[in-house]
Amino acid sequence: MSKAIGVLETRGMASLLGATDAMLKAADVCVIGRHGIGSGWVTVVVEGDVAAVQTAIAIGRAQAQRHGELIVAEVIARPEARAQDAMPHAVASAEVEIDQRALGLLETQGLAPLIAGADAMAKAADVEVCGWAFIGGALCHVLVRGDVAAVQTAIETGRRAAEKVGTVYATLVLPQPIAGVAPLLPLTPQSTGGRTGALGVVEVIGYAAVVAVADAMVKAAEVDIQRLSIGSGGRISALAVGSLDDVQAAVQAGREMAGQVGGLDGVALVSRPDAATMSCFVSVLEEVRQGGARRAMGLIETRSTVALVRAVDQMLKSADVSYEGSYKVGYFLTASIVRGDVGAVRVAIDAGAQEAAKHGELVAAHVIPQLYEEVERRLPHH
Amino acid sequence: MTASIGMIEVEGIAGIIVAADAAVKSADVELLGWDSIGGFTTVFFSGSISDVDAALKSGAAAAREVVEHVVAAPVTQPQPACLEFVTNPVNKDAVTKSGALGIVETRGYGAHVYGDDEMVKTAAVDVVHVITVHNRVVCSLVQGDVGAVREAIARVQTRLRGYEHLMCTAVLPQPRPEVLQAFAIKAGGGGGV
Repeated sequence: MSKAIGVLETRGMASLLGATDAMLKAADVCVIGRHGIGSGWVTVVVEGDVAAVQTAIAIGRAQAQRHGELIVAEVIARPEARAQDAMPHAVASAEVEIDQRALGLLETQGLAPLIAGADAMAKAADVEVCGWAFIGGALCHVLVRGDVAAVQTAIETGRRAAEKVGTVYATLVLPQPIAGVAPLLPLTPQSTGGRTGALGVVEVIGYAAVVAVADAMVKAAEVDIQRLSIGSGGRISALAVGSLDDVQAAVQAGREMAGQVGGLDGVALVSRPDAATMSCFVSVLEEVRQGGARRAMGLIETRSTVALVRAVDQMLKSADVSYEGSYKVGYFLTASIVRGDVGAVRVAIDAGAQEAAKHGELVAAHVIPQLYEEVERRLPHH
Repeated sequence: MTASIGMIEVEGIAGIIVAADAAVKSADVELLGWDSIGGFTTVFFSGSISDVDAALKSGAAAAREVVEHVVAAPVTQPQPACLEFVTNPVNKDAVTKSGALGIVETRGYGAHVYGDDEMVKTAAVDVVHVITVHNRVVCSLVQGDVGAVREAIARVQTRLRGYEHLMCTAVLPQPRPEVLQAFAIKAGGGGGV
């Protein structure tokens, strides 16, 4: 490796994408790696001649601050292979086709505003919703492509729609993106087609809360829980599809349950979602689990592994329950699930909650006497 | 059945590497591995109740030298389910290098791309692993002679002086092989987003 490299790290994808586009246009450099380390911090590594990399990084530094927060911008004139080979950044390969169309990016905190924004964008102008991704720290982004004017209109409308539901972190319009930014873009989801109806999103912080919310939603009205989707920063959403009345009732029930369990972060209701938005967010999961035990479920969620292990040990010792698994949704959160008769699960969860609180932060302790089968099948834990 | 397991939890990962080394050196405990939840990591070891208690004490004390947030607790007569939390077990077959271990931990990845470059240029050390856990924590591990590792760590400290997200650095002059098998080999990192 004889070429120089440049490294640019930002908070937020709009910032990184805008800066990378400017860098690649300003000098003869190419993207050789990218890495996301959570909390919304993302890094791109570019390669080229020393002078080109220096120019690129200078431009990138200025651009990054326009759309977000700059963390690091640095040039390494003669990188040492022994150091760079150990780096875990993914080698960039152009998986996404970049054509001549303009590109718009809406970046929000959490999935609920993102979905509301994406739907508004698809309806506001002739743009294609191309995919979404999350990068930690609650930040997630959705990408649209189309004519410059259409993308500009869409982003403006999307921003307003998203702001009604939650917080918009950044927006970006690239009238003519350079092909080299492709490695930074989210993959276009495969179309799943078929689903129509209203879409309801209840977003909560923590795994225990989302299981309880999803269960409450399907019990309240005739909706399908299409997915429990991680929106990063500990946020996880239950996406329900059905007729508008049913979805409204389900969202209401989900909101109430979230109020009980704690951790409600955002709610979005899209009465007639656009087909592209639907296939972007509502991919039907494989049927991971069939049926499932019809036994009560107990959930304990903490912000400490030490507390959780102590709690699980205490639960299994205090009542006739079995350990089913654990799940992490980021943001220091970790949840464990036990199963058994309702009475046993209640005793176990009480004992576990007491034990966990002694050693760390207890986020939730919840008993679901009978989990709805459909929710059961969609649980991402094993 | 295991008599007792000890758990030490810290913010970041450097703290549990230091704790693990101190724990296995101070009592007859077996290092089991570690687990990461968004930003906190926990190291697990097992042994007799008194050995685990002694190891917890010295491990936690060593961790507090490098990080502020340290939680330590044992589970006596643990249920088998407790062992399922060890998601990154010690790879006992892994071949590890001998030599001192240097640890640099920051928030942010970009700092490592040039920080590690500085280290290998400064002294005869190799970057053996770059571990990313959640919440922006990135930890580089270098190995070499103890003198070389000290030089490299001193150099990166100087280089990152102005960087507000430097979390900690540490040098283990003679790490135990199982500690290296748990942390200083590639494949088995902590996740990242």
